[in-house]
Amino acid sequence: MDIQEYISSGKLELFVLGDLNETEQQEVLAMAKKYPEIDQEIAAIEEAMLAIDQASGVTPSNEVKNKVFDSLESENQKYTPPASKGGPLQKEVKLEPGGVPVSNAWKTFAVAASVVALLSLSAAIYYANQYFDVEQRFEIALQRNAVLAEEMQTNQVKMNALDTEMEKFITGNFDKIPMKGEGLPMQEDALVNVFWDKNSKEVLLAVDQLAKLDPDNDYQLWAIGDEGPVGIGLVDPANILGLQTMNLASSAQAFAITIEPKGGSESPTLEKLVVLGEVS
Amino acid sequence: MEEQALIEGLRARNKQVQEYLYEKYSRALFGVISRIIFDREIAEEVFHDGFMKIIKKIDNYDESKGRLYTWMANICRNSAIDKTRSKEFSKRNKTNTIDAYVYGMESETGTAEAVDGIGVKELMEDLNDEQRFVMECIYFKGYTHTEVAEEYSLPLGTVKSRIRSAIKVLKKKADKI
Repeated sequence: MDIQEYISSGKLELFVLGDLNETEQQEVLAMAKKYPEIDQEIAAIEEAMLAIDQASGVTPSNEVKNKVFDSLESENQKYTPPASKGGPLQKEVKLEPGGVPVSNAWKTFAVAASVVALLSLSAAIYYANQYFDVEQRFEIALQRNAVLAEEMQTNQVKMNALDTEMEKFITGNFDKIPMKGEGLPMQEDALVNVFWDKNSKEVLLAVDQLAKLDPDNDYQLWAIGDEGPVGIGLVDPANILGLQTMNLASSAQAFAITIEPKGGSESPTLEKLVVLGEVS
Repeated sequence: MEEQALIEGLRARNKQVQEYLYEKYSRALFGVISRIIFDREIAEEVFHDGFMKIIKKIDNYDESKGRLYTWMANICRNSAIDKTRSKEFSKRNKTNTIDAYVYGMESETGTAEAVDGIGVKELMEDLNDEQRFVMECIYFKGYTHTEVAEEYSLPLGTVKSRIRSAIKVLKKKADKI
């Protein structure tokens, strides 16, 4: 199972909004237990919902506040805690005033000692919880940090690639050959520029206007020279901003792009010629 | 106060902790309700009952299933939705629409809320139409995502991903405030 896909499916948001059925809820809880990324994402959505509600919330009137506080009062009086620790101990402590028999002094001491023990135990539990909580948050922070570092790394690589392309472009001796779809039956408005350095034989390409393709096909660039058309790489129509580095072209009177089956062909399918540009 | 201490205090029926809970979350929780119920009087009544339900049912809250706030918000949201579906309510509030709420309420109720909140309209203004529509159906009207998908013939996946992106946009907006 792809965790990232699961996270971005929107299911976790529905979970937080209480909009999943019992089975789906169980599934999300099991996934969260298994994958910390999912658990963290849920926490982030919960935080987001609180922030959104807090920001757009409305303060209830003082009348309601008073009414609620009154109700709290009477509700707490009605409430009887489940029988446990506190009760019997307190009764015994009350024996103290008045002449305490010797055997009772021991009892009082024992009670006092156990109260102290109980207090220190609960303090220990409280601080252990506290510690655990901080540790958990620290871990989350570390993980976030790692994600950021990774993103930065990716951006660095992208920037370096852009830099190299740019440098090549500036230092080389490139001719611009515009390839147009005008007069061809496929895409009248298509426009792709080829930059060709005759000496170094390097070819760069920049898409200006080129329609998207279905996933079974690719655009392929051809250098048409003395030996006929030579395929010099596939063109990514979605990459509009960047320069695409193509294979070397030793000779060319013209450049052209055709639509070929996924992965490209040995020789061009001329019926699917999209753009054509002659080297001046 | 840490969430764990808060929960323990609520379970022990500690009045101070309960009041702290009110101070900290009443605004957000009342927001959840008044998004769905526009009549202020009814909304406050539902809020009172919802908050008391939280206090009484705190022993049913299960930490392993989500944070306290999420549990509380769902109680309030469900109480509000139940109210809108009750007979008594539909008689009184036939003409309410989302637009009347989002675009009409601020002027009706005066400036009190405008000062302490950004208002729903402003919160929603960064959403695109598709995100806003889905959020209005689910977050305001209390539809389930399957109801929205069926009623408006949208693929389930589309509804889900719109909710996801909408929450992201809203969070960004909320953080700016």
